[in-house]
Amino acid sequence: MTETFKSKQLRSGLWNTVNERYPGSMITKDSYVPLANITKPISESRLTFVSTAGVQPKGTMPFDTVHPVGDYTYRKVPSHLKQEDLEIHQLKYPTFGANEDINVIFPIKRLQELADEGVIGGLTDHFFSFIGYNMDPTLLEETLAENIADAVVKDHADIALLSPA
Amino acid sequence: MSVALDVTEYIKPPRSVFVPFMMGHHFGVPFHKELQRSIILEALEHLEDAKNSGEIRTLPYKWAKVRKEGNAIKKKLGLK
Repeated sequence: MTETFKSKQLRSGLWNTVNERYPGSMITKDSYVPLANITKPISESRLTFVSTAGVQPKGTMPFDTVHPVGDYTYRKVPSHLKQEDLEIHQLKYPTFGANEDINVIFPIKRLQELADEGVIGGLTDHFFSFIGYNMDPTLLEETLAENIADAVVKDHADIALLSPA
Repeated sequence: MSVALDVTEYIKPPRSVFVPFMMGHHFGVPFHKELQRSIILEALEHLEDAKNSGEIRTLPYKWAKVRKEGNAIKKKLGLK
């Protein structure tokens, strides 16, 4: 049985600790963003996928995984690609599952199947990928996130599935 | 999608789905197609069902159980 709920912070003091140690590294939101209602059924909606897993098409410029403040670029991942056309450049999460089957973190094959079956109306031409290690929240929010949001709109996405790694 | 409930509660995304899995495994375990698909479908369902911003849907999976299922699938496929 799936449950939906709002709960309280489990470790409320944790984020203060992070902010003391890495000043300004946490984005703080004091309010909830208003819900955007979906405008059409899922079966008629074009879906895009946005991921922080560092997944990229083979042969594209690898993400800079060792820069001290992160890499604020993103890669377009054509949504028709096969799993074997992709590789991961990310050091900050366990990739042993993804190295066996990339769908555990970047479910490109599952999304293609759902689109082929008509469960989803379709996929955008591209999915979008970046790395999650970014220590400058202003650059992350005002540059990288905005750039990806613009690219998602340009690709005519109706709905977006977002996954960190 | 989230595997870190406290981070998600802090960040306050409008809609999120929490899976109690290891980092890097938001859609389950290798070769477990049915599980990967179910997680995506749950997320799509939440997209339609969520009434208020900040609602977190928690999926009723157990990491130990899905890992066992994944290992059984790998064995069946003749993979190590």
